[in-house]
Amino acid sequence: MSVVSSSRVEDAAIPSRGLAGWVRYALAVGLVLLTLRVRLSMSPVLADNPTLVIFTVPIILSAYLGGFWPGVTATITSLAASAFFLLPPYVSLKVDAVSSLWQLVIVAVAGLAISGICGWLHASRRQAEEVIHRLRAKEDELKEALKAADELRTALDDHAIVAVTDARGKITFVNDKFCTISKYSREELIGKDHRIINSGHHPKAFIADLWATISSGRQWNGEIKNRAKDGTFYWVATTIVPFFGEDGKPRQYIAIRADITERKIAEEALIQSDQRMRLATEATAVGIWEWSLVAGTIRWDAQMFKIYGVAPTADGIVPYSMWSDAVLPEELKEQEARLQATVRSGVGGARDFRIIRASDQECRHIHAVETVRRNAKNEIEWVVGTNRDVTERKRIEAALQDSERQFRTMADSIPQLAWIARADGHIFWYNRRWYEYTGTTPEQMEGWGWKSVHDPEILPTVVEAWGRALREGASFEMEFPLRAADGRFRVFLTRVEPVRDDDGRVVRWFGTNTDVDALKEAEDKVQRLNTELEKRVAERTAQLEAANGELEAFSYSVSHDLRAPLRAVDGFAQAVFEDYGPLLPEEGRGYLKVIRSGAQQMGCLIDDLLAFSRLSRASLKRGTVDMNYLVRDVVASLDVLSMARRVDFDIGDLPPCQGDAALLRQVWQNLLSNAFKYTGRRERAVIEVGATRAEGGGVVYHVRDNGAGFDMRYADKLFGVFQRLHRVEDYEGTGVGLAIVQRIVHRHGGRVWAEAALDRGATFFFTLNDIVSP
Amino acid sequence: MNHPDAIEILLVEDNPNDLQLTLRALKKARLGNHIQVARDGAEALDYLFAEGEFAGRDILDTPKIVLLDLKLPKIDGIEVLRRIKADARTRHIPVVVLTSSKEQRDVVESYRLGVNSYIVKPVDFEGFSDAIRDLGMYWLVLNQAPRLEG
Repeated sequence: MSVVSSSRVEDAAIPSRGLAGWVRYALAVGLVLLTLRVRLSMSPVLADNPTLVIFTVPIILSAYLGGFWPGVTATITSLAASAFFLLPPYVSLKVDAVSSLWQLVIVAVAGLAISGICGWLHASRRQAEEVIHRLRAKEDELKEALKAADELRTALDDHAIVAVTDARGKITFVNDKFCTISKYSREELIGKDHRIINSGHHPKAFIADLWATISSGRQWNGEIKNRAKDGTFYWVATTIVPFFGEDGKPRQYIAIRADITERKIAEEALIQSDQRMRLATEATAVGIWEWSLVAGTIRWDAQMFKIYGVAPTADGIVPYSMWSDAVLPEELKEQEARLQATVRSGVGGARDFRIIRASDQECRHIHAVETVRRNAKNEIEWVVGTNRDVTERKRIEAALQDSERQFRTMADSIPQLAWIARADGHIFWYNRRWYEYTGTTPEQMEGWGWKSVHDPEILPTVVEAWGRALREGASFEMEFPLRAADGRFRVFLTRVEPVRDDDGRVVRWFGTNTDVDALKEAEDKVQRLNTELEKRVAERTAQLEAANGELEAFSYSVSHDLRAPLRAVDGFAQAVFEDYGPLLPEEGRGYLKVIRSGAQQMGCLIDDLLAFSRLSRASLKRGTVDMNYLVRDVVASLDVLSMARRVDFDIGDLPPCQGDAALLRQVWQNLLSNAFKYTGRRERAVIEVGATRAEGGGVVYHVRDNGAGFDMRYADKLFGVFQRLHRVEDYEGTGVGLAIVQRIVHRHGGRVWAEAALDRGATFFFTLNDIVSP
Repeated sequence: MNHPDAIEILLVEDNPNDLQLTLRALKKARLGNHIQVARDGAEALDYLFAEGEFAGRDILDTPKIVLLDLKLPKIDGIEVLRRIKADARTRHIPVVVLTSSKEQRDVVESYRLGVNSYIVKPVDFEGFSDAIRDLGMYWLVLNQAPRLEG
């Protein structure tokens, strides 16, 4: 039997608190007997030497393993065994020798001592075991507690945002959620204070109050808006708990927060939508009421009180009678029944009824809509509805129907076709004449049936125009053919007018179709004739222009080609005169002069004729003409020719006029050169130019001279072409000048005339723009 | 170049009567020497640009003045005027249009092409010869012509 290792023995011992009572004593005895056996087997070696010392082994073991009393038991057993087997006389408990006795005594004492010591050891060991056991148990408990705490913390970490700050507010710890929501990394946060996430939303007083609370050792709860690293904002519900140090002052603060940003956003949205709804209902004058089936109360909003004309109650709660009393008695029963139906079925609806408004006892029309609200168990908890005062609208509708009735009566009596359409273009009434003409029935025509009596080719245009009018709410006119009962088409002029309500919205379309078939034909004819005429006019104009062109070319070459031979005639006559004049008699020289003068005369004639013919062709270039300037210019050029003569020009202030400056210059040129010419015989020529205002507002210009004048009897000949009232040898001239003047003045829509007396000068008057052309 | 035999006047005129009268007037004004006559536009241009029968003539030997009628056979006066004023060698030559046409469009076109003066031939000879004399006096005596180096 080997000695087992002490630890194994301990392990085995602890769970059962050591060996059971009898086992220890049995063990003690057993060990002693075992030792005896060993001693006995060692007899050959040890002979008679009792060697009682050997029994110390079982005693020690028994005492160590079992305690003091088993040790004692082992001692006694050893004594007995020794006395019986090892000490003479053998196989008896008696002992002979005193030495043997003393040996036994020694064994006894030793045994007791050993037992005592070992027993004490045993006890100590047992105590130690116990303590260890208790400690282990405590350790396990602690482990459990720690595990539970850890799980709690994980749960907290998952849900809450945690930060720990020191007494001065510097962050010493943040959990992952804090980093996530604030978007800062842990390194960026540790060591900073909470200003890093300050959003600026809360007033300074708020923050100050927070600090005051927690630094005085109290917990603080509240909602804070913070700013993340990227500038976005988030809301947290915060609890800050101070932890105290040994001095009783806060040592650190633990802040636990929950992200309520979503909730805050929802709250905000709710407030806004609430406001909007309030605004909407106020704006549209819709009253809202709520009936709580659970509480049995009815609440009205401000608008409802207005509609019913009663003063609002403090909290909006009204008794049922407030409504039922207002409803007209004859309608109340039906309305109540409908309300009950809504409550039962859960299906809302719309209805109309009349009330007597309390404030002025006026009868008002109400349009009501209601619906139900259910709770989580799908039971009906609320009935909510709106009321709207539609009296005005009803009145307008009534008025409309009235006017429609009047229209129909009238429409049936006129010869035109007429109809009424709704706002969307759906025609719901035609007059009698329509059915008579088209030979159709109301069923065929209702709505958009009129399309069938239109010419299919023209129909798309009509539909488009009608569509446009509907969209824009504009009246329109159109001509198109409609098929009569006999299948033939006649053209009708259609006029459509919209009818609007007080708000300006179109509610009806009234239309008429007038038979303009005969008219149309006549129009077409006129149109055809016009086109024909225009064509002819265009042809004539082209012809005329061609003729003019030819004339222009003609006169151009005429003026050039006619002059050349004239020059030759004059030139060579002069050459003869110069070279051979001395050889000729006086008469011959005279003839040459005649030849020359004839040629020169013809030259002038050609020029004048050319100018005259051009006048009627040239277009009038209208502009503002400064008559003062023109006259002075012409006078200046005449002045040059005056030379030896004494000519006084007296020029008044001439108002400007509208006309062609070049042509008017011609007028002044001709009139002034005439005046100049016919005063040639006067010693002192006086030519006066002026303008006077006529009654009617027109201006009369005049040129007065103190020259030869003329006989008024021949005044009407003055302006004729080639007409002269003087002999050529007295005063040269072609007789075209005044004709030119007259033509120009007439083209300006004016008149020209003259007054004179023989040898007492002449005055020529002219006006312009008497006839204002359109 | 100004040698004593230099042509002073290039007279471009197709009408023989007018031509005779003009020469008579020039003579009367003592400007009758050194006149080159061209009877149509082509001849005038040939002379000025030393072509055709005038090949070999020194182009830079330009007349002091060109009296130009507008209505010319072959090449008309306007075209001659245009050619004269378009060429750097002849642009400087004063051109006086002497014509019986008073048409505005001729006047306008001529001035547009750079004519120096536009005279309408008067019918009476006195007036005509006076005009010629004045012309001559002005352009040949009074007016300074540029001296072109060869």
